Amino acid sequence: MLQFAHPAYLWGLLGIALPILVHLFNQRRPRPLSFGAIEFVLRSQRQKARRLRLRQILLLAMRCLLIGAVALALARPSLKPHGVQAAAASGPQATALVVDASFSMRYRLGSRTLFERARAEALATLDRLGPDEPATVGLCAGPAGFSGGMGAPSFDRLAARRLLQSAQPTYLGSDMTGCLAAAAKALGESPVAGKRIIAFSDLAAHSIRLDAPPPLVPPPPEAPAGTPGIRPNVVLVDAARGSDLSNAAVVGTVVRPSATLGPRGYEVVATIANSGAQPVSGLQVSLKLGPQTVAKGFVDVPARGTARKTLGAVLPPGVVSGRVELARSELQGLDEDDAQDFVVHVPRDLKALIVDGAPSSLRARDEAFFVEAALAPARTGGRIHAQTLDADAAANVPLDGYDVIVLLNVPAPPKAFSEKLRQAAQQRGAGIFIALGDHVDPDAYNDSLGELLPRPLHLIKTAAEPGTSGAEDHAARFGVLEWTHPLFRVFGPAEREGLESARTFRYALLKPEGQAHTLASYDDGAPALIEKAFGAGRVLLYTSSASRAWTDWPIRVSFLPVLQQAVSWLADALEQRQPAVAMVGEERTLSAAGGARVEKVLGPDGQPVTLRRETSHPDDGVVPIGAPGQYRALIGLRGVEPREEPALTFVAALDPRESDLRRVDEAELKAQLGGAGSAQVAASAAAAQGAHGTPLWSGLLLLGALALLGEGALTRR
Amino acid sequence: MTLDPALLARLGPLQVVARKVMEGVLTGLHKSPHHGQSVEFSEHKEYAPGDEIRHIDWRAFAKLDKYYVKRFEMETNLRALLVVDASGSMAYGRGAMTKLQYASVCAGALAYLLSRQGDQVGLCIAGDAGISPGVRDFLPFASSATHVQELLRMLEGSQGRGTTLLPAALDFAAEKAGRRALVVVLTDLFDATGEAVRALKMLRSRRHDVLLLQTHDREELDFPFDDPTRFLSMEDERQIEAQPRQIRESYLREMRLFLETTRKELARADVEVEQIATDAPPDRVLLRLLARREAA
Repeated sequence: MLQFAHPAYLWGLLGIALPILVHLFNQRRPRPLSFGAIEFVLRSQRQKARRLRLRQILLLAMRCLLIGAVALALARPSLKPHGVQAAAASGPQATALVVDASFSMRYRLGSRTLFERARAEALATLDRLGPDEPATVGLCAGPAGFSGGMGAPSFDRLAARRLLQSAQPTYLGSDMTGCLAAAAKALGESPVAGKRIIAFSDLAAHSIRLDAPPPLVPPPPEAPAGTPGIRPNVVLVDAARGSDLSNAAVVGTVVRPSATLGPRGYEVVATIANSGAQPVSGLQVSLKLGPQTVAKGFVDVPARGTARKTLGAVLPPGVVSGRVELARSELQGLDEDDAQDFVVHVPRDLKALIVDGAPSSLRARDEAFFVEAALAPARTGGRIHAQTLDADAAANVPLDGYDVIVLLNVPAPPKAFSEKLRQAAQQRGAGIFIALGDHVDPDAYNDSLGELLPRPLHLIKTAAEPGTSGAEDHAARFGVLEWTHPLFRVFGPAEREGLESARTFRYALLKPEGQAHTLASYDDGAPALIEKAFGAGRVLLYTSSASRAWTDWPIRVSFLPVLQQAVSWLADALEQRQPAVAMVGEERTLSAAGGARVEKVLGPDGQPVTLRRETSHPDDGVVPIGAPGQYRALIGLRGVEPREEPALTFVAALDPRESDLRRVDEAELKAQLGGAGSAQVAASAAAAQGAHGTPLWSGLLLLGALALLGEGALTRR
Repeated sequence: MTLDPALLARLGPLQVVARKVMEGVLTGLHKSPHHGQSVEFSEHKEYAPGDEIRHIDWRAFAKLDKYYVKRFEMETNLRALLVVDASGSMAYGRGAMTKLQYASVCAGALAYLLSRQGDQVGLCIAGDAGISPGVRDFLPFASSATHVQELLRMLEGSQGRGTTLLPAALDFAAEKAGRRALVVVLTDLFDATGEAVRALKMLRSRRHDVLLLQTHDREELDFPFDDPTRFLSMEDERQIEAQPRQIRESYLREMRLFLETTRKELARADVEVEQIATDAPPDRVLLRLLARREAA
């Protein structure tokens, strides 16, 4: 629709009457003249009559065009997309240009991304603004709305241009509804009466809340209370120009151990989403460890749906970084969400020596029965290789190569064996697990193992005689447990009952000597599990038996995970809890153990990330996550060269909603923005002129100049 | 002194104007190194029965012993027929004189000149029907002063009207001229039939000395009109409305072509053409014409 900035100049169109009058004057009744040489007049007129008539008409048209074009150009007409007229106010308008800088704007369409298109159109729109129209620019990304905020509209076009020219798309999501509201608020700071928001976006449905109130410009401060807000003109420019933005993306990755794949076998379950209107078939999914592809498969993803693909691999021990990647040949789409990184802490294999102090030909009565069952390959994924020897045999074997030595109801070991245990723990960092039983003499133990024991044994306490009536009522139960310790971390609140219900009839009381850490104690306060660091290794003392002799814990389901965790803990090969995947846009706080300081965090591009420090925990590093990928932490004690801490490595993933580029319904969007009277969804930059529309005055002036030239040429002839 | 047409127009009757022009021509001739046109030549014809006895040249008989009849005095006198176009188009002229008036002045001056040197002058007024198709009036050859006065009265009384039937008038003139004569045709040659040139050539082919004084008004030559005009034919009912400025170029081209074609075509037929505009002093025109004829 046509709109005029200065409609008064349209009176100039009356000037068209002038050439018409001139034309009619020339057509007036001619004066008669008797002329002798009429024959030549007749001949000339015959020759030129038709051409002259055409010339006269052309001349009239040129003159009318000249006057009309100049009059129209002075009125500064502009062509507006249909529907904007009602919302457009005449005169200058304070304008807020909102550019969607969310991740989905990285979508490549042809040779440019949506963001590049949006930025170019925003720059063009800025150039088209009238000199009396203040403008402000905001980049909409992240939960905070505008990155960098949005100032009051001003006439500093240079700053606005610079901001747009230097703008880059982010990996964040966007809340276009919030940004529009913020833009409306910013417009309230301008004294110009007209208010207008022009937003350049992919109109992805996830970025717009249709249930939110429409943006309103707050009334001026001097307005009386109760004055309603002003509804601005809102133009949403579809950067995709209506194109179907099909996209397939990896929106989730779960890595978990797989017993069927053997030791360190893991399965990676990738969730692939297809936001396009057409199903995707035969999409190749690859599992990569570094540059090497270790597994590959194909998946069919329904239209507007998701599919899962499981790929398996045996991973090396340690912190393993990998990536699930889609192989796609299309030139258009989002590249960055075609892959997702993951980090998994793969525990190392370990070797345990079980020293059976009370072997029995009856398996169920064997002291090592429950321990062997707990450490069986079928239950540990083959990660723990356990070997059982009786006390005599064990005393004669070298302990090199064992990560953990488990002493089960072993009589006080001879000094030589004790010495070997001490050396293994102190020098090689081996772990020692000690469970008691009837063969244990506290004094002999104290004498033999001495400082290896977390605390010296005092005496054996019988809470209740097993097998007697009421024994279970009098038996001791676990009272206080350190649930955050790796041994018990596997227990959720629901599973804790299984541990707390175990009954212990007999256990050793310990002397209050030595520096040790009690992990669990009975309800009478006596330590049940107590640990002590010894050299490079650890010693864990269980004050009751690992068989049913003194307690019924071995037959309860809670025994098995605790023992497995204990063995891994002692061998420093604990299966780490997999780090949770962080989302781009969030912050993650990294804390280093042992008083170390998080010195530096390297982002996905290998460059250091600027850390934020909390005053309460100055050694922790708060990592602002701006891009997807792997983040590696370097920690160090003061004065020591920082080293990488694999345990702190984590992965950041994109907001899966940003991979869904389904567009919002235009009718619903207009309704949310206040109806077609004040909202417009434009498909092109030209249509995005908002209230100004496409200026036509320059073209009209050109037309007028051409008409002038034509008139001159016709007149000269 | 130049006899400007505007001045001549104020002099009054044609007799006065024509005489004034004649005097102007004579003044010019006296100043000229040439002494005017000589028509003297002699001829003897051997006597034959039937010839007048009184015309026998006895001196020649004495010398040659043969009878010769002396004929030259009578037969070498110039017989000039002035043919003046008095059609409607000749009445055009918004200046001092119409074309017909201008032609009449020239014709009258020539009549004076010719009669003054003893030549016989006749007049044929060409126009619509009169005494003959295309001839409105005719005055036979004579050289007396009263004849010239009669000729001038006839010229003055003629009015431009009707269609041009110049070919018929020229045929009539050829008939009346008889033996070889000087035929001076004063016309604009605007002949709708296009036969006038042919008739002039025919006249020349009868061994008459043909002189065409093609007379045009300055406005016909320059077409200086600007305002929209309805042009009315002066000889028939034709008319046309035109924007003069828009057709000027084309008109002038057509006019130039007409004048050039006429001049070349008649020159090829040995017809002398003098194209004159009515704003030119007639004495100068006649003087130039006489000088050229003498030089030829």
